Amino acid sequence: MTRTGSPRIVGYAALVAVGLLGALALRRPELAVVAAPFALVLAIGLRAARDPGVSVELAPSTDRALEGTAIETVLEAAAERSVDRLEVLVELPAEMDVADGSRAHAVRLRAGERRELPLSVCCTRWGVFDVGRVEVRARDALRLVTWEARFEQLHRVKAYPTPLTLQQLLAPLETQAFSGSEVARVKGEGVEYADIRDFVAGDRVRSINWRASARRQGLVVNERHPERNTDVVLFVDSFADVRVGGVSVLDEAVRAAAALATRYLDRRDRVGLVGFGGVLRWLHPGMGTTQRYRLIETMIETGVEPTYTWRDVNLIPARILPPASLVLGLSPLVDARFVAALEDLRARRFDVAVVEVDPVPLVRPGPAQTDSLAHGLWLLEREVVRARLVALGIGIGTWGDRDLDTVLEEVRTYRRYARLARA
Amino acid sequence: MTRGGDVFQELGVRIGAVAFLALVAGIVLGWTPLIPVSAALAGGLYGAELAISDVPLDIAAPGVAAALLLCAELAYWSGEERTRWLGDAGDGLRRTAVVAILGASAFFVAAILLALVDAVRTHGLVVDLLGAIAAATVLATVLALSRAPRQSSSGS
Repeated sequence: MTRTGSPRIVGYAALVAVGLLGALALRRPELAVVAAPFALVLAIGLRAARDPGVSVELAPSTDRALEGTAIETVLEAAAERSVDRLEVLVELPAEMDVADGSRAHAVRLRAGERRELPLSVCCTRWGVFDVGRVEVRARDALRLVTWEARFEQLHRVKAYPTPLTLQQLLAPLETQAFSGSEVARVKGEGVEYADIRDFVAGDRVRSINWRASARRQGLVVNERHPERNTDVVLFVDSFADVRVGGVSVLDEAVRAAAALATRYLDRRDRVGLVGFGGVLRWLHPGMGTTQRYRLIETMIETGVEPTYTWRDVNLIPARILPPASLVLGLSPLVDARFVAALEDLRARRFDVAVVEVDPVPLVRPGPAQTDSLAHGLWLLEREVVRARLVALGIGIGTWGDRDLDTVLEEVRTYRRYARLARA
Repeated sequence: MTRGGDVFQELGVRIGAVAFLALVAGIVLGWTPLIPVSAALAGGLYGAELAISDVPLDIAAPGVAAALLLCAELAYWSGEERTRWLGDAGDGLRRTAVVAILGASAFFVAAILLALVDAVRTHGLVVDLLGAIAAATVLATVLALSRAPRQSSSGS
């Protein structure tokens, strides 16, 4: 611990010096009498001051939590010698806040005493944060000397995005070979009725449609759609973020991606992830709870890494984008490189849909007339980009003040009509 | 101040006002060097009053000493409480008691010293010399203690 003198030492020493010199100069012993208590305080305080040997540790009760939920922590302080006043200040990352209690504690510790100070914190946004930076300052009884130290026994806390409620998902155009919850367009063994056809040798007796057979004077069997799983790749734009105060489009995009991943995995679909930006992050498509945690932990490491290099989809390993998978983009559509990547994927015959996390409410035009003009032009440019993607057959839903279900329904409607038009 | 003339009284009021303003500024702005300045101004005013006084020994000195120490302690305490700390129950009362004890101790120590001064006051130059040596010794002790080697150990 670093020992420092409090401002009292200099102040009192100066007063003692002035008093004694004044007493000598004016030949008035009363001034020395006035200065004497200050000198006595200094002498006793400095003599009695000892390093208290303080140790402090902040330990969270869990290393994983949802954003916004409270994490109980225990701030443990101990001292070898008695401390009249121990000031403990917990330093939290900017994305964390105190839910209950106080970051600044002042306690009195006896020699060998160990105190536990409760503190409840919460993460205001998703991410990975290091907790455990604590600054302490011990003061002696006469407040002449302070001992200061900074403790950094870091504990990593992962804050997962708050799950959004989703009723329905976007169905990919093609299904995969494994069984799942999506009704395939092909005919085979399944539950959903598809059509009838004439009986051929080898057909199961239970699939005969007896009513239709009676009407048509010959055996007719039912055909059905099988239930299959799908491959979905969440394509998150991390080229740029639009952040105003505590609201950020990247935060919202990751929240939506986490909710979509959870829902698709619940349906036994395979879900992969590509974080496309300054740093390329990807995760092979997979199924199950483990994949869910892998996805979310990869997502919460997503951040904007500024880069000026041009990046295209050739950088993405081929196995990350399986054939006939749905590529679901989550982007504010403010970076031309991400828009070009979407166009490129569509040109490669991928089934692409985009949830546009709307940055427009966060961007206000400046006071000047030219600012308003620039803002208007920017809005027009966004319309052009959107129209260009729609023309390529990419369904876009703008997610602003509406809920995500409504946005997905908008994309679903577009895809339904687009499919009809193609047929 | 009642012992001086009108000019001295007016000057005394002004210096007192400056000392008070310095104390208030030190507390409000959290600028602690103003606290001893304020105390020194008040002490200086008291010294000036003593210089023009014809009283051989002012018995108000212990009261002045205790008052100055209390003022300084309370002002420094105020500065320490600028950050809102969540403390133990009764922490403020305990600190108040410590400050009150300091004030009372200052009064008694000053009173004893004044009594000693009064006892030896008439014994001439030798006692003056002893007083000067004592004052120098006190100053030297304070300086030696304040320059004691700092203890340090690893903090984390």
